[in-house]
Amino acid sequence: MKTLKLCFALLIITFAVKAQSADKYTAAMQKGMALVDSANTPEQFTSAANFFERVAAAETKQWLPQYYAAFCNLHVAIMGKQDNDTKDALYDKAMSYAEKADAIKPANSEVLVLEGYITFMKMSVFSQQRAMSMIPKANALLDKASAIDPENPRAYLVKGQDTFYTPEAFGGGKANARGLLTTAADKYKNQKTSGFEPAWGAHRCQVLLQQCN
Amino acid sequence: MKKYIYLFIIFVSSFSAFAQTRVSGIIKTSNGKTIPGVNITLVNTYDGASTDTAGHFAFTTTEIGQHVLHYVTVGFKPDSVAVNLDGKPLNLSLTIKEAVNELNAVTITAGTIETGDAKKGAVLSSIDIATTAGAVADIVAALQTLPGTSQAFSENGLFVRGGSGAETRTYFDGMLVKSPFSSQLPDISSRSRFSPFLFKGTTFSSGGYSAQYGQALSSALILESKDLAEKTSTEFSVLTVGFGAAHTERFENSSLTVGGTYYNLHPTYSVFKQNIHWDQAPIDKTGNIQYKWKPTKSSMLKIFSQYSNNDVSLFTDNPDTAGVIHVIDHNKNTYTNITYQDNFNPDWRIQAGASYGNTHESGRLDSNNFRKNDHLLQGRFTLTRYFGQRSLLRAGAEAYQNGALEGWNYQSRSFNDNMQAAFTEGEVFLGDNVVMRLGGMAEHSSYLADWNLAPRTSLAVKTGTHSQVSMAYGIFYQNPDDTYLLQSHQLGYEKATHYLLNYQYLTSGLTFRVEAFYKQYADLTKYDYNGFPKTYAVNNYSHLYNGGDGYAKGIDVFWRDKQSIPGGDYYISYSYLDTKRDFRNYPIQATPPFAAKHTLNIVYKQYIPVIKSELSAAYAFSSGRTYYNPNNPDFLSDKTKAYNNLSMNLSYLTRLFKQFAVVYVSVNNIPGFNNIYGYNYPSNGNTREPILPAAKRNYLFGLLVTIGDNTFNH
Repeated sequence: MKTLKLCFALLIITFAVKAQSADKYTAAMQKGMALVDSANTPEQFTSAANFFERVAAAETKQWLPQYYAAFCNLHVAIMGKQDNDTKDALYDKAMSYAEKADAIKPANSEVLVLEGYITFMKMSVFSQQRAMSMIPKANALLDKASAIDPENPRAYLVKGQDTFYTPEAFGGGKANARGLLTTAADKYKNQKTSGFEPAWGAHRCQVLLQQCN
Repeated sequence: MKKYIYLFIIFVSSFSAFAQTRVSGIIKTSNGKTIPGVNITLVNTYDGASTDTAGHFAFTTTEIGQHVLHYVTVGFKPDSVAVNLDGKPLNLSLTIKEAVNELNAVTITAGTIETGDAKKGAVLSSIDIATTAGAVADIVAALQTLPGTSQAFSENGLFVRGGSGAETRTYFDGMLVKSPFSSQLPDISSRSRFSPFLFKGTTFSSGGYSAQYGQALSSALILESKDLAEKTSTEFSVLTVGFGAAHTERFENSSLTVGGTYYNLHPTYSVFKQNIHWDQAPIDKTGNIQYKWKPTKSSMLKIFSQYSNNDVSLFTDNPDTAGVIHVIDHNKNTYTNITYQDNFNPDWRIQAGASYGNTHESGRLDSNNFRKNDHLLQGRFTLTRYFGQRSLLRAGAEAYQNGALEGWNYQSRSFNDNMQAAFTEGEVFLGDNVVMRLGGMAEHSSYLADWNLAPRTSLAVKTGTHSQVSMAYGIFYQNPDDTYLLQSHQLGYEKATHYLLNYQYLTSGLTFRVEAFYKQYADLTKYDYNGFPKTYAVNNYSHLYNGGDGYAKGIDVFWRDKQSIPGGDYYISYSYLDTKRDFRNYPIQATPPFAAKHTLNIVYKQYIPVIKSELSAAYAFSSGRTYYNPNNPDFLSDKTKAYNNLSMNLSYLTRLFKQFAVVYVSVNNIPGFNNIYGYNYPSNGNTREPILPAAKRNYLFGLLVTIGDNTFNH
């Protein structure tokens, strides 16, 4: 009987260890998602970015760690107060992770949205020099994202956001952004995401919409 | 039972105690600065941490044994350290080195000014070129605001460091362009043929350039055409001088653009007073096709073809008869360029190209008919092998079929030349702070019946995070101008030797460059001719030979500040030039009329949100130029007064019929400076007539509408 209990105890330990390793990726993603969801400062985004980069380095067949590594680095540069060269380097780094995600899962609407977002933000570092060539590039990526998945709210959100921050003289401004953001808001209501797939932006969309009115 | 529970607890706790290692430490730069946000990873695991604001990190891992700890952050070189995980806490003190990035990497800058959008070190972007005040979207006019150039007054060309216009050659995607300008008219310089909107980048080299570029004594203007168009769109422009239209169709992996312009200067010239007596103001018709195909991620095929047709007629003073000469000129030019490149492997790149250009110029000087034809067919192939991150070895070969014909009434003369050239060049990085380029080009010309071998070398050394010193040396050969080759087959290569020393300080917002140069000329073409020859006419020279020589030395300074004025941007360029040469029919070494001792340009751009406009202003100063005075026994010792010009552009961004539109106003010489380019004397020297700009002041109004491109128009 005692021997049996010992065996049972050992069995539980073995099982737990094994389950833990099988679920290591899921657990890591859960931890990472918690980091992203709670990140409000560039430092917190750096921690989240670094975490996803570690997972991405180990899991070269999964697109999500690459995607979130790109997403977090993008936000480090958007929110941070780095000099322009460092911002540029961060956007380049974000883009390289997005491209890796694209290579693992080609023609993915979410990855294209992210690439469009990164391209627009990189443009903004030296807008006078880059606007002419990079705004069309960003738009082409977002249009492609919408073409692949017309129901992806983030394609409209990013486009609306780009418009919001583009001077009125160049076709931007609040009035022009409102339509795109309203479309995005409608699509957020119906969005269906599963697992760790991108679901961000609904709150951001509302914040921008309020500023449009 | 209790015994076993204890045993269990001990077993579990000992297991976990054994399995967990705490890894902590600090990361600093070599000079002791701590870096936050560094990512520390135990390679092949998820384990790791980020450094905090004080540079500290800590994490625990269940891994055991020998592992590699990798650490990296933006702006620094990735590094790693081996660790042994055995349950004992590890405390590490690591150093991280600053990385070399595109902006602070050492590059060869002696003699080279890059413009474009892709390069961070670019001095001007392509939009800067298009919007420089006073340049009216002429690439060459915009480049005349850069150091090392003199303003073109009455002769065509880009005049670099004492060199004549013919000494600057234009390369379109690596292929030599024979006639980048329209016809030379009497005392009036003409525009360059290519629109700045065709190009994504321009490298303007004022000396010491790479062995890839042959047939240019003083300067190489390297134009790189745009890649695939992003969108299908249509563009219309209406200007006071004419109109244009272009349509771009974007396909999956390719894009096609078809466009044309029609310019007629008659309406403007009849409103604004002209110093030139126009019989028919210039009319220009241009059409072009651009096709770009990207069959794979690493390759690109580009085809460009352009046809242009210029007609003009005017009366120019004839100082000898005190009357006028009626000049009629028709110029037809075609230019086609096909290039292909493929980075078929990360270490290899091939580039191949073919181009053909020809010009038919015909017209009349009073009752005499003249014609001037030229053509150039070129094929070129380059292979580049990359070593490591930046070093490379490049080799290539090219062949030219070059010729010209000149006719006067019923007589004509022509020449044909077959040239072959081969070049090789290596760029070697010696560590992060030193780069050396060494190469050479060999050419053979059938018409000159001679070889040449031109060695080139440059060296750049980084002196600080943002600064570097570079130097260059090279020998440059060029065939004499067509007009001389047409009259003699005894001529040989003209030769120049360049020595450059350059200092550059570059951040993303500031650029400061200073460059000292010395250029020695040899074997320049000389001939006998009475008087001071005009380049527009058909002249007969005698005793042509390569007996000329000369020198040019000076200092160029460039300062650009994009960061100090919100929405504003300015640059200042200054060139000091001391040059004398003995060429053409000069009796002695003298400073030619196209070289100014002091040249200053100040260009300022400001975006004004309230009026949704960009204002651009450019001021140009040039000290007096020499002119030929037959009464003065000292050849070319008279000088004109200094040249001053202040131009302004205003671009108002708006929407018309819901489409993106730009309204454009440009005024040149706002203060109305009375500039004099030189003087024309009759052969007896009794009187003189000033050579004046075509008009005291030029005005241009325009409207540009883009349809279908929702770039700025969601």
